[in-house]
Amino acid sequence: MVAPAAAPAHAPAPAAGAIKIVVATDCGSTTTKAILIQEVDGVFRQTHRGEAPTTVEEPFADVTVGVTNAVTELEELSGRRLINPDGTILRRTSPTDPNGCDIYISTSSAGGGLQMMVAGVVRQMTAESAKRAALGAGAIVMDTIASNDKRRPHEQIQRIRELRPDMVLLSGGTDGGDTKKVTELAELIAPAKPRPRFGGEYSMPIIFAGNKDAAAGVQKVFQHGGFDLSVVDNLRPSLENENLGPARDRIHDVFLEHVMAHAPGYDKLMRWSNAPIMPTPGAVGDILQAIARGRNINAVGVDIGGATTDVFSVFGPHFNRTVSANLGMSYSISNVCAEAGMANILRWVHLAQMDERELRNRVKNKMIRPTTIPQSLEALIFEQAVAREALRLAYVQHREFATNLKGVQQQRTVGDTFAQKQGGSSIVDNMALDLLVASGGVLSHAPRMEQTAMMLVDAFEPEGFTELAKDSIFMMPHLGVLASVHGRAAMEVFERDCLIYLGTCIAPAGTAVWGKPVARYTIDGVDAGTAQGTLLGGEMKRFAMAGDKRARAEIVPEKGFDVGAGPGKAVTREIRGGTVGLILDGRGRPLVLPSTRDECRRSMDSWVKALDLYPG
Amino acid sequence: MTSATASIMVSILGMADEASAESFFVSGRGALFGWLAIISVFVLVSIVMARGGKVFKVRPIAGLSAVDEAVGRATEMGRPVLFIPGIQDMDNVQTIAGLTILSRVGKTTADYDAQIEVPVSRSLVMTAGREALGASFLAAGRPDSFNEDQVYYVTDEQFGYTAYVSGLMVRKKPAACFYMGQFFAESLILSETGNSIGAIQIAGTAETSQLPFFVAACDYTLIGEEFFAASAYLSGEPDQMGSLRGQDLSKALVGAVLVLGVVAMTAGALVGGLDGVTGFFQSLVGG
Repeated sequence: MVAPAAAPAHAPAPAAGAIKIVVATDCGSTTTKAILIQEVDGVFRQTHRGEAPTTVEEPFADVTVGVTNAVTELEELSGRRLINPDGTILRRTSPTDPNGCDIYISTSSAGGGLQMMVAGVVRQMTAESAKRAALGAGAIVMDTIASNDKRRPHEQIQRIRELRPDMVLLSGGTDGGDTKKVTELAELIAPAKPRPRFGGEYSMPIIFAGNKDAAAGVQKVFQHGGFDLSVVDNLRPSLENENLGPARDRIHDVFLEHVMAHAPGYDKLMRWSNAPIMPTPGAVGDILQAIARGRNINAVGVDIGGATTDVFSVFGPHFNRTVSANLGMSYSISNVCAEAGMANILRWVHLAQMDERELRNRVKNKMIRPTTIPQSLEALIFEQAVAREALRLAYVQHREFATNLKGVQQQRTVGDTFAQKQGGSSIVDNMALDLLVASGGVLSHAPRMEQTAMMLVDAFEPEGFTELAKDSIFMMPHLGVLASVHGRAAMEVFERDCLIYLGTCIAPAGTAVWGKPVARYTIDGVDAGTAQGTLLGGEMKRFAMAGDKRARAEIVPEKGFDVGAGPGKAVTREIRGGTVGLILDGRGRPLVLPSTRDECRRSMDSWVKALDLYPG
Repeated sequence: MTSATASIMVSILGMADEASAESFFVSGRGALFGWLAIISVFVLVSIVMARGGKVFKVRPIAGLSAVDEAVGRATEMGRPVLFIPGIQDMDNVQTIAGLTILSRVGKTTADYDAQIEVPVSRSLVMTAGREALGASFLAAGRPDSFNEDQVYYVTDEQFGYTAYVSGLMVRKKPAACFYMGQFFAESLILSETGNSIGAIQIAGTAETSQLPFFVAACDYTLIGEEFFAASAYLSGEPDQMGSLRGQDLSKALVGAVLVLGVVAMTAGALVGGLDGVTGFFQSLVGG
């Protein structure tokens, strides 16, 4: 076996007890964001933030210049000296030192982040596990090569040659299983000679995480030709088990050793940092997992950008991340409209004067000037309608990807005669979802919090009781790295400063008939005191409930409706308030909107009024 | 022709004439003719609709959807796929249905470049099986991977065949086992052996006495009608889809009439005075 090389050294982190002041940066493609976290009255809080343009590209070609600029802004705002005269991050010399920080940490997605190609024997099995490992580590998966991907070998070689991944993850075969096909995959990759993105002076990293019996054969294939092969434990030692940890860890190491080490200025940044630099999405995934496990809840996070949408989910022990590469609000907006169809976008627009033709014009304008933001109410409504569809489609893709393992033997009894469920069912269960976290421009910067909440409810269709929140300033990446060195600090900042709680959505699942009762409710503890009544099909209600407030909700669903305890069964539980408050959604699940434009528009209009989404 | 023979012929023809005059239409069975006509109309109309582009929704059959999963498992584990098309000959409709499914399994196996083994207990089934499997490999674009020895004859003897297949399973440990056809006492022996070696097993049979064994021991089981519907499900051809829908509509109608008839007859027996209604239902079944 080829022993993995050691990752480049970063500065050692002090013991968690000695950490009181933290500087964290996230080096994005365009902006470097810095935050200052300090322990105030025994609790960690994010106190200041600063940002500066990222300086990976020429003329600076040194990422640390942007970091220094962003931290300098922190310095100015906090009055605390954080930069040494030589531009490095200043550390405190003693617990009473009024200047400097205890640790500095960073994430990075500059230069397109981590881009990988993965390969496996069967697309739905080892190739899918490899994809899960890569996505979980924060990578963008450029393509997945598999024995059964319907492409001829020459087409696969051609595709590999076209890609310029940062690294390749090769898997295939269970331990003691297939060796022939996984070696054949290696034999496709080796002659294709994929070239790395950053220069040609270093060898293409290949991580082999397949059948251990095939490792020798794979090594033989990659021993010449400029590859840097490392062998880690099989990510599917048996089809019943998935072991993504070693592959993910190795991806992080290779990211530091190869990708970061060759990006401008990152060697310096790594020396400054007290923890390994993580890919931004990987860090977001880590903090979401830490929160979900800390609170023992199921959580979904979404980050909608201009070109892509990331969805993260934690259901029980399972963490999944997907990147929907062509679903975004600026460069990908045309693709969202093409995939969803204009009729589906139009259903979220309540304005009578807006028709399909106008929507098309707006899409084209956005394509010409993708980075513009809405300047009028109509433009905002249009953009939020598109966002609903982009989020919905991204979530559909996520549900299809986040599945139980396929190829596992089932154990049956005679009782299963008429209910033989297939393996590989989705792990994502909206009824079990406890927390839905939004981030990304269109969600974070919506003028009213109600708009963010409504976009989440419409796109994700949460069922039962679900808390809604948004990441205030996209702080989750910073906290993801912080969680690796100081878990408590990360959790405290996440709860107090990172998340803005919008409130709770209660949505009975079942087929709603417009105007017919869906559930009876008694809410004790909303701002107005106690709310009581009947929720009708197609109806939405909102009750103001301050952010830190808790209320007791008793929901008695009608026959055929479920709020978590089974059809028709009442549920009483504590709910959390927020800037929006409590939303009761009587539209049923799955959400089916009226089929005619007029009816749909009238319904949408009533929901806009019920939640006070837009002025006027 | 002798006169004796001629007289016998005349008498036979005379009897036939009398019989045909009396019973060419059996009036008491008019209801059955009506049912036949209704079912035929359902089937023909459905076929015409399917040919016209109407898409009929077919409930996904978990056992067939799991074929990819089972063959994928065999591929990842580097083990063969085992297919048993029952123990009956080609004159049995279940064997024919089994061979239809062999085509699908064979194509998936060829796509995945996995190994398949088809031991059979009838020589004619071997010939038909080779044809089916060869066509599947051709359809998958891998005719070179097809080897006709993948389908081979073992013995006609029920337990001799069972012993051979069980031994094969223990020795080669196939990762996916398919049992598609008519089975008798060997069903439990085969499926328990397959379960013990950790294979994904998919069974299909219309032999009701064997279904509980398959359901308990296998991962997926095609039950009775599902087994026969499989060819329509797999091929998606308009004629087969239309026929499937027509039969389903007919079954739904017959089921509804049966339920209403039972209710009417029960009510008639309990309260009386429903002679008209009960008579109507009796006439529907030609009673």
